[in-house]
Amino acid sequence: MATTVAAPALAGTRHKYESGIWSWLSTTDHKKIGQLYLYTALAWFIVGGIEALIIRTQLYGPNGRLVSADLYNQLFTMHGTTMIFMVVMPLSAAFFNYLIPLQIGARDVAFPRLNAFSYWVFLAGSIFMNVSWLFHAAPDSGWFAYAPLNTRTYNPGLNMDFWVIGLQILGVSSLAAGFNFITTIINMRAPGMHFMRMPIFTWSAFVTQFLIVLSFPMITVAVTFLLFDRFFGTNFYEIPAGADPLLWQHLFWLFGHPEVYILILPAFGLVSEVMPTFSRKPLFGYPVMVYSLILIAFLGFGVWAHHMFAVGMGPIADSIFGITTMLIAIPTGVKIFNWLGTMWGGSLRFTSSMLFAIGLVCLFTIGGISGVMHASVPSDMQQTDSYFVVAHFHYVMFGGSMMGLFAGIYYYFPKITGRFLDEKLGKWHFWLTFIGMNLTFFPMHFAGLHGMPRRIWSYDANQGWNVDNHISTIGAFILALGTLFFVINMIRSRRNGTVSGGDPWGAPTIEWSTPSPPPHYNYARIPTITSRYPMWDVKAPRLTETVPHTKEGERKMGVSVAGKETGEITTPSDIHLNAEGAHPSADEPVIVMPTPTIKPLIATIAFVIPFIGLIWHKHAAIMVGGGLFFLIAMVAWLLTPVEPEH
Amino acid sequence: MTGHHRARRFVWTALIPALAFGLAACSHDPNSTFGAHSEVGRAQESLTHLLLILGGIVFVVVEGLLIYVLIKYRARPGGPEPKQTHGNTTLEVTWTLIPAVILAIIAVPSVRTIFETQAPAPASALQVEVIGHQWWWEFRYPEFGVTTANELYLPTGRKVNLQLTSNDVVHSFWVPQLVGKRDVIHKDAKMANHLWFTPESSFVWNGFCAEYCGTSHSNMKFRVFTVPPAQFETYIAHQKTGPAFTPPAPDTSKQAVAQAAAAPQPQPQPQLASAAAEANTGTWPHDELPAWTVPETPLPAGLTISAQEGDPARGAQLYKTGACIGCHTVQGVSPGIIGPNLTHAGSRTTIAAGMYPNDAKHLALWIKDAPAMKPGSLMPPMGKGLPHTMGAFDDQQIADIAAYILSLK
Repeated sequence: MATTVAAPALAGTRHKYESGIWSWLSTTDHKKIGQLYLYTALAWFIVGGIEALIIRTQLYGPNGRLVSADLYNQLFTMHGTTMIFMVVMPLSAAFFNYLIPLQIGARDVAFPRLNAFSYWVFLAGSIFMNVSWLFHAAPDSGWFAYAPLNTRTYNPGLNMDFWVIGLQILGVSSLAAGFNFITTIINMRAPGMHFMRMPIFTWSAFVTQFLIVLSFPMITVAVTFLLFDRFFGTNFYEIPAGADPLLWQHLFWLFGHPEVYILILPAFGLVSEVMPTFSRKPLFGYPVMVYSLILIAFLGFGVWAHHMFAVGMGPIADSIFGITTMLIAIPTGVKIFNWLGTMWGGSLRFTSSMLFAIGLVCLFTIGGISGVMHASVPSDMQQTDSYFVVAHFHYVMFGGSMMGLFAGIYYYFPKITGRFLDEKLGKWHFWLTFIGMNLTFFPMHFAGLHGMPRRIWSYDANQGWNVDNHISTIGAFILALGTLFFVINMIRSRRNGTVSGGDPWGAPTIEWSTPSPPPHYNYARIPTITSRYPMWDVKAPRLTETVPHTKEGERKMGVSVAGKETGEITTPSDIHLNAEGAHPSADEPVIVMPTPTIKPLIATIAFVIPFIGLIWHKHAAIMVGGGLFFLIAMVAWLLTPVEPEH
Repeated sequence: MTGHHRARRFVWTALIPALAFGLAACSHDPNSTFGAHSEVGRAQESLTHLLLILGGIVFVVVEGLLIYVLIKYRARPGGPEPKQTHGNTTLEVTWTLIPAVILAIIAVPSVRTIFETQAPAPASALQVEVIGHQWWWEFRYPEFGVTTANELYLPTGRKVNLQLTSNDVVHSFWVPQLVGKRDVIHKDAKMANHLWFTPESSFVWNGFCAEYCGTSHSNMKFRVFTVPPAQFETYIAHQKTGPAFTPPAPDTSKQAVAQAAAAPQPQPQPQLASAAAEANTGTWPHDELPAWTVPETPLPAGLTISAQEGDPARGAQLYKTGACIGCHTVQGVSPGIIGPNLTHAGSRTTIAAGMYPNDAKHLALWIKDAPAMKPGSLMPPMGKGLPHTMGAFDDQQIADIAAYILSLK
């Protein structure tokens, strides 16, 4: 049974604030929120990139003196914190927001105002963290801020106050979004969309949300302990009072390891969307791709102490974590082979999006190999805390996450804006990035194995590290040039890009059945799903004839869909009785969407005020006042209905 | 651009970096983790070799397949829709099992080596206590009652068991050419980490702190001198003795004081110029240091000192009555334990934890304004008039103190 393609614009509720700044400030539309995340994250990418360029310039040659040691330590701390929490995570969130409802055939997420709140809190947290620069007191204990260096005893200034509070705020954003997307995916899938028919990106997003919801509480605990130590005199990490520094390390890495899977799985999901489209073949081994996502997430909670092999946990713990770390390489490696299998025998179109997806396969393999090397504990005793591990994580974070996210941006930009990104500029972006990235990070493997420790502000001559560092710095500037092409492309294409239409790539999943950009309500009629590749069923049936999606399968799964014959299916929430108390006819559906509201933004401002009071000399009046304001804002929000009366 | 050209361009793009890497790899690597000079280091390295070989094979196979696929299956204009495969259970099982086998090949020797290298050290090992400070290293030999700083002498051919503790934050003890690192975490010796290995050849090795520990983490270097056992005995015997320079009792007669004030007469400094003199101390001859163990850290801008020749006798007086005694130990002279033990500091090759050569000029500048020489240094400036100074020494007095320290061979 074919899916219904979205009809042209129907009479939805027209809102007062359809355009202009106010429409963005008060939006609860997942598509607008997704764009807010996208542009904000890209802005922080530039900031984090500039921090990296300063670092690389300082390290270009021996005994560099471009920046002081103090400033350098702030730069590398903020580079890591920015890239992880303000770039890769929100870029992934941009796609969660934009795509999940569209891919599952829903009109929005389960909690649209909470969704907006997540974005505003992210923006507030990222600004809060970076305001520290204005005080010349940016966080400076490294992105993982080991105790006791992070305590007031060894770091009395404002630096780590900004870090601890900023991170607490950012955590709230991710947690709220996690609950939101889990609820959305479980409850709001279109009829017929069994879990094993969900687009693979939605699967990767789904698994990532569980990672977030289960791991962020651990960093919340770790950071709350630190916050109380720093502000209220407790002694969770204070060495003079007898604390054990390893408490922080365990709590942090219990979060920190699942965090790196949070950072990579969405990129994997995007590659799994892009590659089949540009290979003209379904994803190879879809069920295994799903199971491997789940297995990676599950195993990801069992490897955290591989960040602590030099800590002296003893041979039993070292061996166990070494083995679990090796185990997790299996489901990850399987994905690489499945992507190769997708392309094998296909008809490959090398669009910019596809090039970035291929780039991930190539570069993540390298990062995965160095990761397995780290898993062998005795060898890791030389590799850890050297530039070898810096090479490893940049290969998986940049060569993995960023390449996948770029693939997604080139792929979905037409859907979001209605226009293509320029392909020629895209190719320049790709090649400069690919070459620059390898020149920057490959020599770091050598520098590390040649004894260069990480996080050093400068290095002496005659240590054997000069050539590696020269090449790295040159590579970084080539990378930056590639990014410049990307920024120009984004700016120009929004206005002047070639118009794309609804399905510019010939893709299989239902978001491509909507106009580009989609209307506010996404789907005029919620589609019925009968296969994993509904668009190919309609437009290119040969591509999916061997993929199981028969009516038999439906029967087996016990799905019964009313009104199958007419192909018009509505879920109960879409059925609104008209004035006569009867079901509206197919010609006059009424689509009710959540009302835009400024309340999430107000609640965010109220939420941040007590934290400002805390860092401002523990100003009790501001803290209490802000808390009360937040309470009032929440009550006002919760008492307001999501949708208008109907 | 056709797929063929694209593929060729891809290969060339890979070749240029490969050449660059080859170049990088060929540069002199004095701190390399390869060619490790202890049994533990070599056990770790043999695993690294295994990993590089297996990793290399996986790299070639996977990237080779990728390049093949990109060339062979590029879209051809007017070509047919591709054959629709979407899974193949045999293939998927195979490419799950093969990585599992490769990992087992890695896991077995890894676990074995873990247990071998982390077994408790034998009682016959030389016990050395390593204490990490922000930003210097303290070394103690409990069985000899010797305490020193930033230079670790070890006898070749004898297992050494390092007890690693920290006075403050987490540090990490790393001598890449000798053995893999171990973190320095707890203050309490009962919770200490231990690292044992047997140095195999006689040489000088660079050591680094490998866990970010604050402002001068990069400046927390040390040297390890692995020497023949006989030389080690000489070294320890010398370290147990008191300071090499004891100033003559001051002549407090009015005449002597007036004379000294009117015309300062610096005494010649004892120099370790001859190997024979050095042989008495067991320390490594300064003129036989490899280039990469001689620091070239540039001096901070704007820090100068007008005097460099100093009188050790006068310097000893200034030291004894100055703030120095609160932080430093010179056996029989001062009891401070906050900073490095200086009893034999004169025979060390570097100062400020491997930052600067140990000579009159650098030492004088260090004493004058340590925080300028080493960012964040907990040693305050001693020079007159400097902000936060703990001393009021003019440049000549500082030179005297430096001369005194240098005389403590």
